Amino acid sequence: MSYFELKEPPRREDRLKACIAHGAALGEVAGRGLQCCQPGNERTFTQNSICLLLPALGTMNSIPNSVVLMHGGLGCGSSSHCGNAAVRGGNNQRWGVVKDGRWLSTGLTESDVISGGEPKLAQAIIEADRRYRPAVIFIVASCVPGIIGDDVESVVEQTQSEVVAKLLPVHCEGFKTKIWATSYDAIYHAIGRNLLTDNEKPAIEKEKTGITVNLMNVSSMGRVDELELERLLNELGISVNIFPVFADPDGMQRMTEADLSISTCPTHDDYMLTYLKEKYQVPFIIRHMPIGIENTGKWLQDVADFFGLGEQARALIAREEADLAAALAPLKPMFKGKKAFSSAGEFRALSTAILLAELGFEIAGIRAFHHDEFAEVEYEKLVRLVGKDLPLNIANCQPFEEANLLRKLKPDIFLGHMNGNSTAAKLGISTHVIYNSGLHYIGYKGAYELARRLYRQLRNPRFNTNLSQHAVLPYKESWYQQNPFKYIKTAGGDNE
Amino acid sequence: MSNYTFIERPRYTCALGGAIATVSALPKAVPILHAPPGCASNFTWTQAGGSGLQVGGYCGGLSMPGSNVQEREVVFGGVERLEEEIRNMFDVMQGDLYVVITSCVTEVIGDDVGSVVRPLQEQGVPIFFAETGGFRGNSYQGYDLVLQSLFKDFVKKTDKKQPRSVNLWGLTPFIDVFWRGNIAEIRRLLEKLGLTVNSFFTVDDSIDKIREAGSAALNIVVSEVVGQGAAQVAEEVHGTPSLSATLPVGPTATSAFLRQVGEALNLDATLVEEVIQYETKRYYSLLELLADGFNDIDLQRYAVIIGDTNYAVSLTRFLADDVGWLPEIVGITDILEEEQQEQIAGQLSSLASGLSPEVIFHTDGSVIADAARTHWRKKQPLAGKYTNPLNPSFVIGSALDRELAKDLGAGHLSVSFPVANRAVISRGYAGYNGGLTLIEDLISTIIIGR
Repeated sequence: MSYFELKEPPRREDRLKACIAHGAALGEVAGRGLQCCQPGNERTFTQNSICLLLPALGTMNSIPNSVVLMHGGLGCGSSSHCGNAAVRGGNNQRWGVVKDGRWLSTGLTESDVISGGEPKLAQAIIEADRRYRPAVIFIVASCVPGIIGDDVESVVEQTQSEVVAKLLPVHCEGFKTKIWATSYDAIYHAIGRNLLTDNEKPAIEKEKTGITVNLMNVSSMGRVDELELERLLNELGISVNIFPVFADPDGMQRMTEADLSISTCPTHDDYMLTYLKEKYQVPFIIRHMPIGIENTGKWLQDVADFFGLGEQARALIAREEADLAAALAPLKPMFKGKKAFSSAGEFRALSTAILLAELGFEIAGIRAFHHDEFAEVEYEKLVRLVGKDLPLNIANCQPFEEANLLRKLKPDIFLGHMNGNSTAAKLGISTHVIYNSGLHYIGYKGAYELARRLYRQLRNPRFNTNLSQHAVLPYKESWYQQNPFKYIKTAGGDNE
Repeated sequence: MSNYTFIERPRYTCALGGAIATVSALPKAVPILHAPPGCASNFTWTQAGGSGLQVGGYCGGLSMPGSNVQEREVVFGGVERLEEEIRNMFDVMQGDLYVVITSCVTEVIGDDVGSVVRPLQEQGVPIFFAETGGFRGNSYQGYDLVLQSLFKDFVKKTDKKQPRSVNLWGLTPFIDVFWRGNIAEIRRLLEKLGLTVNSFFTVDDSIDKIREAGSAALNIVVSEVVGQGAAQVAEEVHGTPSLSATLPVGPTATSAFLRQVGEALNLDATLVEEVIQYETKRYYSLLELLADGFNDIDLQRYAVIIGDTNYAVSLTRFLADDVGWLPEIVGITDILEEEQQEQIAGQLSSLASGLSPEVIFHTDGSVIADAARTHWRKKQPLAGKYTNPLNPSFVIGSALDRELAKDLGAGHLSVSFPVANRAVISRGYAGYNGGLTLIEDLISTIIIGR
């Protein structure tokens, strides 16, 4: 039975045996499926983390003509105040109109918790439909309904006939998973079940002109990055439809009609791409992330080979690489001998580290938010490039482990996820953000633009060095003498 | 009032968010969240988007320790996990104060947090807890709940009151985006009256002084809505009376505020008047330089004011009675009881300038915006050679009110939460200095194209 027949998708701890805590050398992870921690109970001391609702909102708030109705406590989803900047920017970049995202909260109160929130949710759906007239309403279940037993699915079933908008229930109960990549499955689950209909053969077979692919984007990817990938694919004569972030809900069906689906982040897409293949016979490629010079070439070559365009791709890649090498030459002396540290979602952290190595940095260490099988190919590439001894930390944030590692490793530059750079900054390390949907990261253009920004950061790191003279991190001095992975419970015993 | 079916883009977060804001703004305090993993990051991103780029605190953001409860804890209880977390935390985290704050999940499952915290308190560890589950209300309630617990379980009890010593609160850190500047200015003025001020959240405050807050002669709450529960607890537990006042912005309101404080503490009226005279004179001698500009460029505006009670009332008064603008619509986005609404509406119907703007109580920005558009349309004759529409105009609200400003052809400044489009460090709008700063900001926005 397909997962898509279930009411909610399985959590990734179960589906992929993904893990969130480990401290080791790179070589220990590369090349083997790692059972590195006890899922859900992985540390005896932890700092807080992210739940799946946050990345899910990144996609939901971007969908044109949608309303995101949070069912839960008043605060769940207030992170949208931050995501809204990307929604405004993204709308402007795509359609020339600045527009705020539209999110609502049922704001469950103490009495709702006691008597149940279902009637309030039903009313809220009807009111939201009347007031905003959206094409779709995401009905987001957060922790509270999950605990008090609100049946969000049946409320949706009962109210669907009373509203014009399509209702998409999305399960984001934060206490159910620590792997927030589960949120990508939750969104795709809702799209697959509600916005894709069975592919009836059209009465008149449309004349097929050329090749069209589904390019799967992620909410951390800005329009500028999409344009870079479109440019490269168009050069090979391949047309591109982009899903799911900022995609028109009425057009999602086109996902089922493409010749191929291409992932740009293997952590993101396997759930949906497998479904599209099984149900709609759309084949897919999920292997490389087009970040870094070699990786962009590999990503492009895979797609081209699939369509028998291998020769054209090789020529294109050679041209692109030559142009890029010439452009990078004046910047590279700045990077030589400098130590870099990369920290982000697993695939992104690894491919970024590979790019940094290509730019001439020495890689000092890597932190990845979780670990699953999709990244194994990336670990192997990195080991070939930088050797096996590099420190690796699998951590769902946990800045105390990071602070400890950084004090020991003393990198010159730290590349971290949004809201993950301040620890390094307060330690006086130059930083650069890995997630900013206004900036280039992807493809050849991304490699160059990132290099340009790193060059600029390294030219004058005074903001952070000054800060580090006076800012204090909230850790005991004695913590820095400890093993950074002291509190991780591994399957084979603790780290001490 | 919980008779909403939903709240549109809530202009605050939940009680736990307010609690995180509060604890992370206390000097060298470490919040410990008994919560699922996402509550902290949800608040961190809320700050990043709404609080004028101010994120974190001494131990904020994702550095806050937390039990990260999962299904296992939901089924079997989370107390054991919390105990383990706190035990190990003392080896890693350095703090002057530790505060355990709870979430929807851990309250619904009925975890007894007190059973973990009380033994530590008995050993003399500077720690207390507050029950701040998100369903208890919005971030203003979370702020109040933390202060209530602080007065109940941390502040030392004493019968000896210092007659010239006061506590000051009422402004929720980060949700009042200009909290630092606002508190600093009010503190400065109270000190000019010869008072010793414990204001909890400034660089001049410390946990040691906060522990002595029970010796204050008066608690001054610069809000008539926020922090009232804590005022009640402080009176019950420590016998300290309180004075609630509207956040004072500009010379008229600030002078009235200082007189109120003077009377409550029986201060020498001459001294109070001297301070008021000095500050008012200084305010106008600085403002005087803008007299040419203000009049030549025609900087008077019809205004829409949208915000929480603290800001909406204070800014309306300041604009109407000090600056001579024309407030037409006041939108108040707090969740309020009916009698609170009546009291607030009463305040806005007795402006010294004699103006009486239309006051709308609604949590949803789009409803307030619709009312403003309708109001504007009504004042706009359909045609004719000579019309008298409501322009030029200005919207002072949050970043979410930019669309309304655009529709009205009005200027716009983000002051109330969310302030997505400004960077805020020490700026404030309270007091005499705050009034001048607000005038600078409003006018700078209007003349930016010069």
